[in-house]
Amino acid sequence: MSGAACIAILLAAGIAMPGVINRVRAWFAGRRGVPFFQHLFNLRAMLRKGVVTGHTSTLIFRAAPSVYLAAVLTAMLFIPVGGLRPLLSFSGDVVLFAYLLALSRIALILAALDTGSSFEGMGASREALYGAMVEPALFIVAGTVALVSGYTSFASIFPALAARGFTVEMSIVLLLLVYVMVKVLTVECGRIPVDDPRTHLELTMIHEVMVLDYSGVDLAMITAAGWLKMSVLAAVAANIAAAVTGGGAVAAVLWIVVVAAVIATVESFIARNKLSRNTTYILTIVAIAFVLFLVAFLLESDITVS
Amino acid sequence: MVIALFIIVLLVALPVFVIPSRARHAYFFTVTAIEAALLLWLAAGVLGGGGAMVFEGPGWVPGAMPLEVDRLSAFFIVVVSLAAVSAALYSWGYLKPYRETKPPAHISLHLFSFLLLFASIIMVVTARDAYGFLFSWELMSVTSFVLILLDADRKEVRKAALSYLVMMHVGFVFLLVAFTVLSAAAGSASFDALDTYFAARRGIPLFLLFLVGFGMKAGVFPFHTWLPEAHPAAPAHVSAFMSGVMIKTGVYGILRVVSHMGEGLETAGMTLFTVGIVTGLYGAFLAAVQNDIKRLLAYSSIENIGIIFTALGAAAIGYTGGNNLMATCALSGALMHTLNHSFFKSVLFFGAGNVYRTVHTTSLDVLGGLSRRMPFTAGFFLLGVMAISALPPLSGFVSEFLIYYGFFDAVARDAGGLIASICGIVAVSLIGGVVILAFTKLYGVAFLGSPRSGAARGAREADRMSIAGFVIPAAGILVVGLMPAVFIGGFMSLTSEIIGVEYTPELYGYFTGRLWEISLAAAILVALTAALLLLRRWIVRKYPPATSPVWGCGFTTSSHKMQYSGESFSEGLYGISTSLTKNSGGGEVVDKDEIFPTRHSFDLRHKDKVLTLLSEWWVESVRRINKRAVRFNTGKVNHYILYALVFLVLIFILTVTGVI
Repeated sequence: MSGAACIAILLAAGIAMPGVINRVRAWFAGRRGVPFFQHLFNLRAMLRKGVVTGHTSTLIFRAAPSVYLAAVLTAMLFIPVGGLRPLLSFSGDVVLFAYLLALSRIALILAALDTGSSFEGMGASREALYGAMVEPALFIVAGTVALVSGYTSFASIFPALAARGFTVEMSIVLLLLVYVMVKVLTVECGRIPVDDPRTHLELTMIHEVMVLDYSGVDLAMITAAGWLKMSVLAAVAANIAAAVTGGGAVAAVLWIVVVAAVIATVESFIARNKLSRNTTYILTIVAIAFVLFLVAFLLESDITVS
Repeated sequence: MVIALFIIVLLVALPVFVIPSRARHAYFFTVTAIEAALLLWLAAGVLGGGGAMVFEGPGWVPGAMPLEVDRLSAFFIVVVSLAAVSAALYSWGYLKPYRETKPPAHISLHLFSFLLLFASIIMVVTARDAYGFLFSWELMSVTSFVLILLDADRKEVRKAALSYLVMMHVGFVFLLVAFTVLSAAAGSASFDALDTYFAARRGIPLFLLFLVGFGMKAGVFPFHTWLPEAHPAAPAHVSAFMSGVMIKTGVYGILRVVSHMGEGLETAGMTLFTVGIVTGLYGAFLAAVQNDIKRLLAYSSIENIGIIFTALGAAAIGYTGGNNLMATCALSGALMHTLNHSFFKSVLFFGAGNVYRTVHTTSLDVLGGLSRRMPFTAGFFLLGVMAISALPPLSGFVSEFLIYYGFFDAVARDAGGLIASICGIVAVSLIGGVVILAFTKLYGVAFLGSPRSGAARGAREADRMSIAGFVIPAAGILVVGLMPAVFIGGFMSLTSEIIGVEYTPELYGYFTGRLWEISLAAAILVALTAALLLLRRWIVRKYPPATSPVWGCGFTTSSHKMQYSGESFSEGLYGISTSLTKNSGGGEVVDKDEIFPTRHSFDLRHKDKVLTLLSEWWVESVRRINKRAVRFNTGKVNHYILYALVFLVLIFILTVTGVI
């Protein structure tokens, strides 16, 4: 029962997050903004169209959206919301989660290379590079929460975190982990400052340029998978935050909204990075994550510095 | 027994020289298959709980040199036999053009060497005493040297084979010294004598000798330099067999040595762990900048050896830290990865061989669009790429999951080896990410997009035999990936024998449970993918399938020249990778003022800096010494008489003073 509730919440979050981001951005820009569910109307429009593929593309191009969406959906089954247990869980599922995201990434990269277009190769190359660089950050975050909670599955980590009391120091470390997790989301989902989903110039795109030649139902699946990926990663961040603040599932849902609002705020005020700076930017996130792990380790080992 | 087995194999293998050429390969394959079947039957008996078997040779054969098959040996026998059968099957089609152009004796020598190599690896993993072991080890190096030389009329092949032979013998000297030290100290030179040796001393120097000797074969940094040279030179089935199996004898040797260690085990573990991480990262980053399929695969072998060594080190660290769960996980993961790597490396090298046979090159820059022309090869190759990138639901993920699991568990329970574990997590995840980059580049540039040359445009699918070679390793990838829980019992009893920890039914059930959950997730993933594909088909049923040129920013006729090349795909890693390579670029760049560029050729190479360091430093030193020495060569007879006089006086003085 709680597993179904988790999936429902994550699906709802996936649908709501683009709306929240649009609204917050519009508010900062002083516009009225598009309707909250505009992205769903767009999705419906895509589903009503046929599919056009490139001349050189093969089965990989046609199968990739399904693999992409299926991998994200499978990853979603492992994510709890607040105290609600997910549908699937076993110790060590954090590893499976990370590799399912990797599977989703590789599917799109190969599909982009399948078109034989120079632009899509550009996007694929960047996605592969940034994906490789950010991978350790996700693993360190998982390692840190495993260290603090004593478990290695999402379903047990977050309740165990929420159940134990925190010192002020540890709360700060965990909230900084939330920050790192939001940055991981920024990279994985292609948001500002790593990638700009609204850019109009192919040369500076990453995610958007990889899906340039998709249309119809394929594009719909990729778009929907992108939302879900965002909601899943936001839920991981929100779960850590909710464990610190307390409040269970309600707090977790509120934190997901906060994450969306933060992403939108960043997008309203900050320009994207120069592409050559992105590697440094991502490696800095990894370094911060590693420092956080070490600090958490020292706090856990009860070493008093006199 | 080593000599007896050697004679038997010689007798069985020699007929390939006299059998008529039509039936020769059939004979070769039958012999390999029967040998493999017998060995698998033997190994199954040992792994199934039969206990170790010892073969003492018949009395009339000189030298006792018994062979012993315990669980560890049996496991390696399984790995070797499966790879040997698929390589022999694959070579049937691969050698066809060679059978037409090469003299029959040359082909016979090749097949003969392969049979001997197969047997020698089996002897390496079963011999217990130093003489038998070193004999088999040397036989393995020499036969593989002959196998690399199939294309001996190409200059780079001869060069690569020679450098391989030299490095193997440098490694051999280290092993020889190690066994001599052991023999002098413990009274006998065999793996069992290691117990008495390590019981009395810390044994780190001896361990380091073994590490260099075995590391040379395994391709551990900085002794890896023969791999990227030898693999592009060797024929595909030989590359597959060498990379999938032969380099694992280094892993086997280290495991044998370490399993006998006592007090020094922690230091040895830290050494293996560090060496493994460095090797893995080095291999991954250099693989990403290679522009040749086989060279990239060779670096990926180095990277996988790195992962295996990291896990071995982690097992030792966990064991000495009192964390048996981590030791079990890491060691099972390392062994399973050894098996898996032989599967997917076979698939990948066979695929590269099929490409080479039809396009006559493995250089990425002239390939492209092969998946439409060679659908079977491309399909199997994709399977290999996914498995080596450790993606669920394939076998590579399972072995890496076990390794990660050991690390994460140590972190979560705050058990022994915590700091090593987090370093392991970071390193293995970074390696994993870079490997994905390297292999999407390999697959994307070679098999997808449009052809970059006329040769690639004319590529044709390989014959049936070459496709049949894929079947065994591909089945292995799928079976281990989808149902890992079936095999974990075998791996756990193997690890319990090596590290001396009795595993309880609870622990066994715990692991089986984890792995069934992975199977469940894999099933869900496959089912969801299938459902979505059906859904997609149902949605697009109303619309006629349409194709159009891809978006070219206004250009409607996109050219294959506009595609991303291998070089540009890994551009982002240049800052890191090219600092490890010696880069040379020849030719003329297109000038900015050239509005209508004419024909240009540009040649960019990334040579391994370690290779240039190792070889160039020696050559340079010898040259410098020679330069000094040449001054004595004055060409005047009186000088030479003076040298003789000085020599005689020196001898006289030394004799008188009693030095000699």
